[in-house]
Order: sequence, then structure tokens, then C-alpha cells
Amino acid sequence: MRIRDVFSYSFSAIKLRKIRAGLTTLGVVIGIAAIVALLSITQGLQNTITMQLETGLATDTLIVSPGRSFFSEGGAGIGGGFGDSDSDFKLFINDTETINALSPDIELSAARIQKTIYIQSSERGFLINVIGVDFAEYMDLYGSTFVAESGTINVNPENSEIVIGKTLYDPWENGTLLFNVNDEVEVIWTNATARPPKNESYTGQIAAVLKEIGGFGFGGPSDIGVYIPISQAQSFFDTDECSQIVVKLANSDQATIDSVSELITDVFNGEVSVISSTAVLNLLGSVFSIIQLFLAGIAAISLLVAGIGIMNIMIVSLIERTREIGILKALGMKSRTVLMIFLGESVIIGLIGAVLGLGLGWVLANVVAVVFSGGGPFAGIGGSQATGVEAGGMDIIPVLTPTVLVGALGFGVGVSVIFALYPAWRASKLKPVEALRYE
Amino acid sequence: MAMIVEAIDLKKTYMLGKIPVEALRGVNLKVESGDFLAVLGPSGSGKSTLLNLVGVLDKPTAGTLLIDGVDVSKLSDNQLSDLRCRVGFVFQFFNLIPRFTARDNVELSLSIAGVSKAERKKRAEKLLETVGLKDRINHKPAELSGGQQQRVAIARALANNPRFLLLDEPTGNIDSRTAREILRLVKRLNTEKGVTIIMVTHDQHLAREAKRVVQMFDGVITSDVVNGELT
Repeated sequence: MRIRDVFSYSFSAIKLRKIRAGLTTLGVVIGIAAIVALLSITQGLQNTITMQLETGLATDTLIVSPGRSFFSEGGAGIGGGFGDSDSDFKLFINDTETINALSPDIELSAARIQKTIYIQSSERGFLINVIGVDFAEYMDLYGSTFVAESGTINVNPENSEIVIGKTLYDPWENGTLLFNVNDEVEVIWTNATARPPKNESYTGQIAAVLKEIGGFGFGGPSDIGVYIPISQAQSFFDTDECSQIVVKLANSDQATIDSVSELITDVFNGEVSVISSTAVLNLLGSVFSIIQLFLAGIAAISLLVAGIGIMNIMIVSLIERTREIGILKALGMKSRTVLMIFLGESVIIGLIGAVLGLGLGWVLANVVAVVFSGGGPFAGIGGSQATGVEAGGMDIIPVLTPTVLVGALGFGVGVSVIFALYPAWRASKLKPVEALRYE
Repeated sequence: MAMIVEAIDLKKTYMLGKIPVEALRGVNLKVESGDFLAVLGPSGSGKSTLLNLVGVLDKPTAGTLLIDGVDVSKLSDNQLSDLRCRVGFVFQFFNLIPRFTARDNVELSLSIAGVSKAERKKRAEKLLETVGLKDRINHKPAELSGGQQQRVAIARALANNPRFLLLDEPTGNIDSRTAREILRLVKRLNTEKGVTIIMVTHDQHLAREAKRVVQMFDGVITSDVVNGELT
């Protein structure tokens, strides 16, 4: 029997039981739609987050923090990580000299002191992280993002000078300014180590507002950052300890990143963690892979259920059509053709289900994206609460990769065929006389 | 004349639950090309079993069955399927596919044999014309009378130019007038087209129309006479 005739026979059998076939197909549709929707949404989310991270990201910088790395012992592998708070190791501002001497690949290293302060203008005040940095070094490190939109960033700033991110200047983006250049502000810090704890304060002046950076400002300057000269931070917070040291490399090769990371880790006896932005991006990528696999796994369960549905329906169909199979065999149909007819039915169901599922999944993904993206009813979720500044929702654009497309089609048809194998095999093994006698 | 079917000491035992039932207990039979054989006998005499064996729908328990000189016990499943394509089988209960029209039912037989679509259509229409159903081509079995359905079944059985036509109580399920028409058709196929025919029946009147009558009882052939030789 010709393959086209086999399929047309399969199709005629499906058409006979439209509702049943429709419901079976629906199972596949839901399974595939779930997989496609989850995967394309996750892919879109990953793209959005990666893009946000990459905005204003300097790929040639490393960030050194005190505390052992959670991840690889070399410190430079995929990992990097976050500091281990149990360690009493401290990183000091003059450690930059140690780092600078390590390798010719290191161009510059800059210490950062990060504290939470209360910043108070004449009208408003709130808690925020302040970062003490050397303005000159920072301009060198982040030449594209540590740039003033208004005011000027002085290479040798007065102690009172403060640089703020764009969001702190115009948080609502409607011209209602929060802090402007030349505003005088009160900086208040609670020294919790003093007995009794006491508030320190000084009056600063906004010297510059950074141009808009966008993204998360990972590691580098951000739109919600407040920057003061490091000398001021040292004396105001009364410390030589720094929160991080930012290291600028001569190039952003993975090999350079790895070797320098290792040198830095070794010189501090493994008491520091070195994070490269590339490593973070890689880590993010692998985290998303795991999430995708997990979600796809959950969605696959629904497809499994659909598969069992197919098997069930095929067995019922096999029993109902025993006599028909007897006729076909009496007319000279080979066992393998009977097998192909039954598998053909499952291929048709699987294929229709997968195609419809792809469409439905794509529509679902887009609906979800619109609902949660900027402009949608849930926009703004994840906006920064600490600053009281609306950050706006992220725009998620669902992505349907060719792998997902082909995979979903293949998976839909594959599951259908696998679950139809047993009923099809049983049908093919029926003996003509016995099948004909079946009532 | 060439020997089409040759059964030598053919035996068939069924298991009815746990009780073995000897349906055939040593049947010897020779059928030549162009023959018209009626197998007569009461129900349970083994005539349908014999027909199923000759139509290779079932396998004998013992003995030898040669079709066109080939021992069917030596054939693989696929070869048996190919052989079934060349055997026309007509059942008492028609066994048409209900969702198919008369033409589709006839075409199915051709499609299984791998005939192209254009050729199938032409041959199916010609066959249905031969059995007198030219104006019923697009009717489904439910829209046809018993006699018409049986004629579709005959057309289907003839589709692949079979070596012989096997009819299992072909008129058992239709009224006597239609039965006579069916028989006339079968006779015409035998005399005009030279189709070899083996027909199982329990109707003496029908058997009288055949060239040769084989009587069966209790799993064996009790008489085998050429019509006209009876006195």
C-alpha cells in the first residue's frame, strides 16, 4: 500500500470520530502550548534581563569583594559569587596597590565604600546607598556611564560634592525634580558601632547629575546611585575598609579575566570573591537554562497526560475496529501496513496538536508579556521599592527560537507516536479469522 | 487444466475454551482452474473452516495445502498477505467498510495491492458496472440493500483479478429472489470470465447450479460429484 494511501486511510478513520479525535488533539495542544508559552516567555525574560545587565556594563572590569566565593575555588570559573558574611576578612582601600602590582593586564583598580545613608533635601528625604569613589578613577573605569548630564564631575572634588543618578534627579520623568544641581542636602549616617549608636551628618551639595544609563547598572554607575568622593567617605564613615575594589583590565579576553581573577584570589588567600561581568552573564545564562528545563519539564507532564489519552483512545479504537482490521487483513493488507495506519492516525493527531499548540502557546506568551510589561496592568512590579522611585516594568518580548519550534513539533508528534506504538502493534498482530469473527 | 487448490489430509483443530474441537479431520480436495465448486453441508460440518484455510485467512493444524502448487505453510506473513490479495473472498455478512462508498470499498482492495489512484478509480467503476451497480457507485453500505452490498463485496473480491473467488454463504443474508440474482452473477463470472469459484452454502438449490458439489459432514468430505452425473 502506498504511503499516501495509508495516511488517507488513517485520516478517514480520524474523521469518523471527530469529537473524540478533537479531544485527544486538545490534550496535545495544551501540552505543546504550555511548553511553548513557558519557554518563549523565559527566553524573552532572559533576553530582557541580559540586555538590562549589558546596558552600561563594562566587560573589562572585575569586582573584588571580601569573603570566599560560593562557587569555584579558583574564583574565576563560571562563578564568582557573593561574599561570605561569616568571614572576618576585610578589604582595605590600600589593597588596590597590591592588586595593581599583580599583573600588567591590570590597568587600574579603584576602591568603593558603600554605606546606607539618609539623604535629606529641604522637602524630602529617604534611605539610600551611597558609594564613596575616586571620581577621577571612576570616570576612567566607566567612561561611558559616569558622565555628567548637568553640572560637572570634578577630578579633584570638594568633600561636599555629590554626584547623583538620573532617577534621583527626575524620578517621575515629568519634570518634578527631586534633587537638582547645586541643591544642598543633608547626609545622615547612623554609626551603629559607636556606643551608644549615634547619627553623623554633613551638608553636601549636588555637583552633577549623571546622564541616563538604563538597565540595572550592574557593578558600575546606576541611575539610582549617589556618589561621594572617597576621601570624604573615609573620614565621614571613619574607616579604611572598603566594600569592593573595581579592577579594570587591559582587555576583556576570557583568558585575561581568568588569570587575573586567580591572581587576585590567590594574593588574598582565597578570602575574596572576584566577579566578572562576563561570569555573571554566563551564570545568568546557566540559571535560565535550568529554569527553562524545569518549566519545560512541568509542561512536559501535561504532554505525558495527553500521550496517555492518545493511548487510551487508540486502544478503544482498536477494539471497536477489530472487525475492520480483520477485513483489511483478509483483503491482503500486511501487518506493517496496519501498524502504519494506526501510527499514521497518531502522527496526524500529534502534528495537528503540535501546530495548534505552537500557535496557542505563542499567543499565550504574548498575552502574558503584554500583561506584565510596561503599560500593562501589572507594570511596575519589581520597581525599586527602597528608593520609592518607580522604575517601570520591564518589557518582555517572548522569543520563539527555532530549537523550541522544531522541538515542540517533534515532541508533540514523538509523544503521540510513542504512546500509539502499543495499540498499533496489537492491531497489527490480530489474526484475520479471529478479527473477522469479532462482534 | 491447471490445479489451483490442492488439499492433502488437511486438519484443523480449534480450542473452544479448553476443549479442542476438530473442525477438519483430514480433507482431500483438488480444484482446477475454471471450476465452480459448491461445498454443501450442515452447520458445524467444517465447510467455512475449509474456506478460511483455502483463503489463507487461517492456518491448518496439520496436512498440506497447495495453492498454485505452493505449500502455504512455507509462506511468511508478508507472502500470505500478498497471496490474500490474489484471492477474492466474499463473506456472508458482506464485511464492507461502513464509512466508505461502494467505489471506495472496491478501491480499498486495489489500494492495498498498491494500484495507483487513477487506475483504481477506473477499475472500481468498471467492476461495479459488471456487478450491476453503476448507479450506486457513491452510496455507502447503509444506503444499499443486502443484495447490493453483496454485489459490492463481489466487485471488491474481483478487484485484483483473483486466481479464484471464495464465497462463504453469499446468499445467507439476503432474500431468495436477490439470492438468485447473485447466483446468476456468480455463474456468469465463471462461464464468461473463467473465474474459478468455490462457494460454501447449506442451500441445496444453490448447490445445484454449481459444476461440482462437495458434501461435508463432521469435518470430512463425504461425497464429491460433478453435477449432472447425479441421477
